[in-house]
Amino acid sequence: MPEPLYEPDTAISAGGAGGATDFAVDEGETLEKRPDGGPQGAGPGKPRSLWSDAWRDLRRNPVFIVSGLVIAFLVVISLWPSLIASGNPLQCDLARAQEGSQPGHPFGFDGQGCDVYTRTVYGARTSVTVGVCATLGVALLGSVLGGLAGFFGGGWDALLSRITDVFFGIPVVLGGLVFLSVVTSTTVWPVIGFIVLLGWPQIARIARGSVITAKQNDYVQAARALGASNARMLLRHVTPNAVAPVIVVATIALGTYISLEATLSYLGVGLKPPTVSWGIDLSAASPYVRNAPHMLLWPAGALAVTVLAFIMLGDAVRDALDPKLR
Amino acid sequence: MGRYVIRRLLQMIPVFFGATLLIFLMVNVMGDPVAGLCGDRECDPATAARLRAEFGLDQPVWQQYATYMGNVFSGDFGTAFNGQRVTELMAGAFPVTIRLTLVAIVFEIVIGISLGVLTGLRRGRPVDTGVLLMTLVVISIPTFVTGLLLQLLLGVKWGLVKPAVSSAATVDELLVPGLVLASVSLAYVTRLTRTSVAENSRADYVRTAVAKGLPRRRVVSRHLLRNSLIPVVTFIGTDVGALMGGAIVTERIFNIHGVGYQLYQGILRQSSQTVVGFVTVLVLVFLLANLLVDILYAVLDPRIRYA
Amino acid sequence: MTAAPASFEPSPALLEVRDLHVEFRTRDGVARAVNGVTYSVAEGETLAVLGESGSGKSVTAQAVMGILDMPPGRITGGEILFQGRDLLKLKEDERREVRGREMAMIFQDALSSLNPVLSVGEQLGEMFVVHRGMSRKDARNKAVELMDRVRIPAARERVGQYPHQFSGGMRQRIMIAMALALEPALIIADEPTTALDVTVQAQVMDLLAELQRELAMGLILITHDLGVVADVADRIAVMYAGRIVETAPVHDIYKAPAHPYTKGLLESIPRLDQKGQELYAIKGLPPNLLHIPPGCAFHPRCPLGRDMCRTDEPPLYDVPDGRGSACHFWQEAHHG
Repeated sequence: MPEPLYEPDTAISAGGAGGATDFAVDEGETLEKRPDGGPQGAGPGKPRSLWSDAWRDLRRNPVFIVSGLVIAFLVVISLWPSLIASGNPLQCDLARAQEGSQPGHPFGFDGQGCDVYTRTVYGARTSVTVGVCATLGVALLGSVLGGLAGFFGGGWDALLSRITDVFFGIPVVLGGLVFLSVVTSTTVWPVIGFIVLLGWPQIARIARGSVITAKQNDYVQAARALGASNARMLLRHVTPNAVAPVIVVATIALGTYISLEATLSYLGVGLKPPTVSWGIDLSAASPYVRNAPHMLLWPAGALAVTVLAFIMLGDAVRDALDPKLR
Repeated sequence: MGRYVIRRLLQMIPVFFGATLLIFLMVNVMGDPVAGLCGDRECDPATAARLRAEFGLDQPVWQQYATYMGNVFSGDFGTAFNGQRVTELMAGAFPVTIRLTLVAIVFEIVIGISLGVLTGLRRGRPVDTGVLLMTLVVISIPTFVTGLLLQLLLGVKWGLVKPAVSSAATVDELLVPGLVLASVSLAYVTRLTRTSVAENSRADYVRTAVAKGLPRRRVVSRHLLRNSLIPVVTFIGTDVGALMGGAIVTERIFNIHGVGYQLYQGILRQSSQTVVGFVTVLVLVFLLANLLVDILYAVLDPRIRYA
Repeated sequence: MTAAPASFEPSPALLEVRDLHVEFRTRDGVARAVNGVTYSVAEGETLAVLGESGSGKSVTAQAVMGILDMPPGRITGGEILFQGRDLLKLKEDERREVRGREMAMIFQDALSSLNPVLSVGEQLGEMFVVHRGMSRKDARNKAVELMDRVRIPAARERVGQYPHQFSGGMRQRIMIAMALALEPALIIADEPTTALDVTVQAQVMDLLAELQRELAMGLILITHDLGVVADVADRIAVMYAGRIVETAPVHDIYKAPAHPYTKGLLESIPRLDQKGQELYAIKGLPPNLLHIPPGCAFHPRCPLGRDMCRTDEPPLYDVPDGRGSACHFWQEAHHG
């Protein structure tokens, strides 16, 4: 029986409902899939793999190119913010608090008189760090636990399923409030740790599902029948097939983790000053939203564009890796 | 059918205890529950020790958890920081949040499903691309930013609605907050509906329905939608619990005195009884919503009902 | 509805497909799935359309039914005359009236072709509700009648059940019942038994043939299975690369095929009386519809292929006894 639970990720992922075959019946299908065959078939005869096919699609996809460029830009300014921002995000002049846009300070000043432009640029580093580290942690923990449970099945699998159920039973923001409200550290690590703690079950479910699907492939069964060892089957046959969905979901999740960090910071339990973070700035700006909306709009815009870029990247990769949806 | 429901119910029990234990541990191990009881001052050691003994905090954690759960099942959720019964706070807060959640769910159903069906049937056309892009933007902007912006625009700049919600929290006051709360899920519902409709529209049974000479409207409403909406309905069902838990952000922005507000106060004042109590009820709501979804799923899909 | 109304032009054929062309737009180019197919079916006649997958037999049938996916499919030429009317010139509404009422289709995979969340009674009765304006209760009784007719045991008890609760053979019977509901003049069966167990295949095929005789319907039987064809078909049309390559009465074709492709197909059937011999296989692969070879599409695989075949596309030559063959050297194939 299928697990009748739908997380948001099924909305973005393919969600393969059974029984839906292509309308164009067998005829058109066999044509498209067959690499140029036929003794006299003209054109390139090179068979294409899933990955090279996906890459070919991606290079032509404007969504991928734009989001890729945005992300590349974000990574660069996270590493070297001084490239485009000469100021110091922590150097503030209370006398200039809430002042609007002016020469040299295109985004104006915030409630503490800090330059909004500089803080927005420096905020990227925090968001990208949290996003990337949390995603790596989640993907690693989730795919190892989920993959092993899916591969070996049995009692471990049942136990893991129950544990993921428990974690899914805790609303994320609530959990964050409870878990992080007692943390006093001003580094990014508690937030990352919390996201990994509550995020891994999502990836674990995906990894488990795709490992089970991959395991049932005929050629994997054949390898088993030929006496391939567990380790060899996992590495050679199962992993390559299970990796694609994990990458897709992880990319999209990266965006949502950045958003989650900002939300937690807005609620006052995420990152804490002096860390420069869009969430902290947004939280600080919200009381002044009537008089000085620029304090809110610039970091909010930067945050939205960042999250959007990651989600669109994941979306484009998903489309490229899942020919079914074309 | 009956066996199916019972099996789901039995599976719920360990999840309920696991999730509440996790929260209980987080609150009790990481925070000092006594600290909140002395108001803003530091507790002097003697008082702290007395309070510890009084609340059974000197006992092992698992025993505390057992005692707490025993009390919960007899309807005693303990006392909040200001001496009010936690159950009293709940009686005031839950109706407000339930109203807010219902408003949000209605938005999800009406707007999300309509947009999803529209785009699913017009895949690749400009409407589809436009709506799809919009959903991505909505998903990308954190709820609190959406909320602040809508409050700024509708409430302050254009004066269409009151920027804050009164303590009565009537349904018309909750329209904008409900939309904000629904926004991200609404985008997911749109996308899920779209994918599901588009996928099912290529299904063999839809082709059969066309071959039977049925009018297009009937093919869509009776054959395509009946099947496509099954995952959507289940998503919305599961979302009930998530929305109530996530309402904390929306309630903070619009100053709504619901569950999220009480929880936030509880956390600020380190009132562990309030926090654990509210979270326990929310987890229960979440699980019951899931159970409801499973039942709904079986009602909608005979393949599960008769499995 | 079994007799053509007199008001139409007198036409011997119930259905006449003339020079039909269908293309599919794919990522890699235009696939020409159907390239000038011409065939006809008379009342009460069974035409078997034979060919490998990709030969265009199903696409032609979908074009006739008007259920082709467009896009990516596109009908680029030809006529489909049904009872004298060109279906391609009808408005979608008029076309819909024809579907189900005057021509019906039976699909290969009954499990996926039936709606999983509606009971079989609802799906059968729907035909009467929509086309005949019947009440739901009357339609349900009609559904039970239909199920009796296709010999589903305990029809009255099972009418409320869902497709997944039936066996494969029973599900295909339901598909047949649905197609028969309004006693159409033409039935198109697209590989109706391919998905079934061998033991059940014959039962379903016999039932279909019997009902067709009873109702004097025209039947287009699409298949790749020569064995099925011999028992039930009157005439055969063999398709290759979107064209008819040979058409003949069924028994003649078995005796003396007039096209090297048909010959190859017949020789590749395993036979019990030729034990020990290596099984014949047509050399090469079916053509890629994105790049159909010029001239005769079959020439790269043809044992009779000459220079002429590379350049000149063969027309459908007349072969004695009302047959046709699209081979320049059909005489050689026929007698050799």
